[in-house]
Amino acid sequence: MTETIDQHQEGKRDVTFRVFRFNPQVDSKPYFDDYTISAERGITVLRSLNYIKEHVDATLSFRAFCQAGICGSCGMRVNGISKLACTSQVWDELDKCREPGIIRVEPLRSLPMIKDLIVDMDPLVDKMTRYANWVDSTMPLAEMGKKEFLISEEEFQQYDKATDCILCASCVSECSILRANTEYVSPAVLLKSYRMNVDSRDGIHDLRLAELVKDHGVWDCTHCYRCQESCVKSIPIMEAIHAIREDALEKRGPRDTSGAKHAEAFMEDIEKKGKLVEATLPIRTNGVVWTLTNLLPMAMKMIVKRRTPPPPPLVKSAKGIKIFRAMFREMTEHVKQDHLKSHKK
Amino acid sequence: MKPFDIVIVGGGGAGLYAAMEAMKTNPALNIAVLSKVYPNRSHTSAAQGGANAALANKAKDDSVEMHIFDTIKGSDYLADQDAVDVLCSEAPKIIRELENIGTPWSRMEDNTIAQRPFGGAGRPRCCYCADKTGHTILQTLYEQCLRKGVLFFNEYFALNLSVHGSRSRGLIAMNMKTGKVEAFPAKTVIFATGGYAKMYWNRSSNAAGNTGDGQAIAYRAGIPMKDMEIVQFHPTGLRKSGLLVTEGARGEGGYLINKDGERFMARYAKEKMELGPRDLVSRSIETEILEGRGFDSPAGKYIHLDLRHLGADLIKSRLPQIREMTLNFEGVDPIEEPIPIRPTAHYSMGGIDTDNFGRTVMDGVYAAGECACVSVHGANRLGGNSLLDILVFGRIAGHTAAEEAGKFEPGSISEEDLRESVEDIRARMQPSGHYERYGALREELGQTLALNVGIFRESSLLHKGIQDIAELKERFKKVRVFDSSDVFNTNLQQVLELQNMLDLAETVAVGALAREESRGSHTRIDFPVRDDEKWHKHTLATLVDGKATPGEKPVTMGRYELQERTY
Repeated sequence: MTETIDQHQEGKRDVTFRVFRFNPQVDSKPYFDDYTISAERGITVLRSLNYIKEHVDATLSFRAFCQAGICGSCGMRVNGISKLACTSQVWDELDKCREPGIIRVEPLRSLPMIKDLIVDMDPLVDKMTRYANWVDSTMPLAEMGKKEFLISEEEFQQYDKATDCILCASCVSECSILRANTEYVSPAVLLKSYRMNVDSRDGIHDLRLAELVKDHGVWDCTHCYRCQESCVKSIPIMEAIHAIREDALEKRGPRDTSGAKHAEAFMEDIEKKGKLVEATLPIRTNGVVWTLTNLLPMAMKMIVKRRTPPPPPLVKSAKGIKIFRAMFREMTEHVKQDHLKSHKK
Repeated sequence: MKPFDIVIVGGGGAGLYAAMEAMKTNPALNIAVLSKVYPNRSHTSAAQGGANAALANKAKDDSVEMHIFDTIKGSDYLADQDAVDVLCSEAPKIIRELENIGTPWSRMEDNTIAQRPFGGAGRPRCCYCADKTGHTILQTLYEQCLRKGVLFFNEYFALNLSVHGSRSRGLIAMNMKTGKVEAFPAKTVIFATGGYAKMYWNRSSNAAGNTGDGQAIAYRAGIPMKDMEIVQFHPTGLRKSGLLVTEGARGEGGYLINKDGERFMARYAKEKMELGPRDLVSRSIETEILEGRGFDSPAGKYIHLDLRHLGADLIKSRLPQIREMTLNFEGVDPIEEPIPIRPTAHYSMGGIDTDNFGRTVMDGVYAAGECACVSVHGANRLGGNSLLDILVFGRIAGHTAAEEAGKFEPGSISEEDLRESVEDIRARMQPSGHYERYGALREELGQTLALNVGIFRESSLLHKGIQDIAELKERFKKVRVFDSSDVFNTNLQQVLELQNMLDLAETVAVGALAREESRGSHTRIDFPVRDDEKWHKHTLATLVDGKATPGEKPVTMGRYELQERTY
């Protein structure tokens, strides 16, 4: 049955919403329901879902609140991409369908399912707490409210964009690490941690950083950039993650954690040979004992399958390595200078 | 459940500030915050403009005194002057306190908090963070509450106060994740549930959840509502959703055009044209529509906000957010087409009657924020005073409840009370013969309010509105909940929210009929002037025998005598 959402002279298009359904009380596993409605230009995915709930199937469950793209409630996957339903135009989505005329709507990934399009946000809140995603003010309690901190435009610029985050969890859903390990800190919490760490009013930078470099922390990111690409507020999340890593290397040194050692070993190889010496990378990152206990079985399999990386002496320097090294050193020098400058400020 | 000292209902700016302040006042207290959404979703996040405080960072000659006067004048002299005194005197301290705990205020060249001019204010005293002020304040408060370990009950829908005699024993609420109705016995309860302007439904800029839950619960418990008829309308809401197109569009030179192609503001404000004050522009647009010069669509009548003459470059560089918004929410590119708009219900000045400490008439029950009416906004709220209101009075309510909780006996909620609430809900879920759809009733409620209790009010319209609301309440008895599941039953929640809106709608209409004058946002065609002799007072609405019973309360005066409000 085709229902009409909004009669208008401008013309309408028939759209099928293929919606993920799951009610833990009755369903042993999720399934999809198709709802076909007639939608005019200008209608958003959220308005369509509201229409379906009111007129076709009252049991369809999803979150929505401000309906204006600022509260972050209606994060869901539309045609496979995590986004806000309230700011997604149906006619735009029609151009992105895998099957013509069928818009797929699914819940966010990497968060526990509750019902239909609703997922549990508690894990995200727990991580915000674990990583102290707040300013722990250096203003003494007795002085609160009496005077302002003076904040420079440069400092404000450092966290301005990061404070746009509405915790919609689109980045959480798109993150490739979280899909393999739900304990991973998550892009949103890294972004917030960065925002707190660059705030001069905060007094627990070092504690927060110490937590961030532990297992499941900042070093687990694989730079896939999916968080940044899917961010509904276009926040450069990867820049924040890189900044935390640079900060960690600078403040805590390269021998601090496996992540830092891994980055250091990477740099060493690239400078020396222009490519990686993969055979010794795990040892340099995690030490001999860890490598033997954790990677030996895999190494045996690799030997059987003849997939072992070449031993270090056989890794020849890349072509044009001299020019490359010169460029590498020049860039390293630039980075150092930039750091010095930013510290002078 | 172990009895609480304080249960706070609502996790927006007022609720979170109340929680923080209560913990600070007495760290030994057992405090809980209930919210029907995760607190960071609350509607505080939608406030763009800023919060007023006479910091005198921008205009060195600004003062608390000037802020007080602007607010009283803006209220059309209906605000209580002692309450306004508290609001404005506390403002600099609270803005600095927020700054001290991490709010990313925009800055001036001398690195102090930036301030900008705002409507109705004699000096630039609106502190802001770009166009995301409410969002960043809410984030800061939520972060600080997590830091202090505030106990949150997220996604709990408040149902009723448990009242025995003249006293509340606590709150009854439904856990949305399980559908279980749970008791929150408490010495004190603070309502901070936001406004009720969503009762205008598609003619409202509010979030879907601004359904006046706290007010409705208090009202059903016999606590009086104050000045409920006073609702602020914003001139330019999008036709389909009611979402706001900010004043910037007209500031940059946008035209308002009717279906005859006229720039009709020439008839109403020859000098200022599109840039007249909010209430005047709202009334002008509404007049055009009522006199048949609006465009027609199934989503309702509307007029055009035309930006095309400004050119693609200017629209892209100066109004990018407005363009993004109209593209996202209306599918219209303002470079190529005019934007369909009409006035939209924006803010509710009325609410739960409280004193300057957040106390209601019921012992142990407090209210703060848009949900309360102290009154600091009177008949018209100034831009930048709503965020300030939730912060200042949220904090005061938290402090008062923490100080007074010790006076009251520990609350206990009987099994019988709980069973009553469960049975109320179960009854809705029983299939019966003829039934009504809640969606249709909700739309009809919005329509009759916009038409009969909207920008222009008049005796016969209001009678029609009151009759419509009564009929809707009758039909509501036959509304059926189709979703029978316990887990996250949003169908049930929306039906209960509709019930809250219907209960409050009656108080809005009854108050509007009673107030036979035009003051601030309340415009009566049949009583077009302010009548200080008869109506310089607050209206009250109390539930007696199932009906909204009108009452009144004097306005507290102070240093400022009544004057004509001209700008």
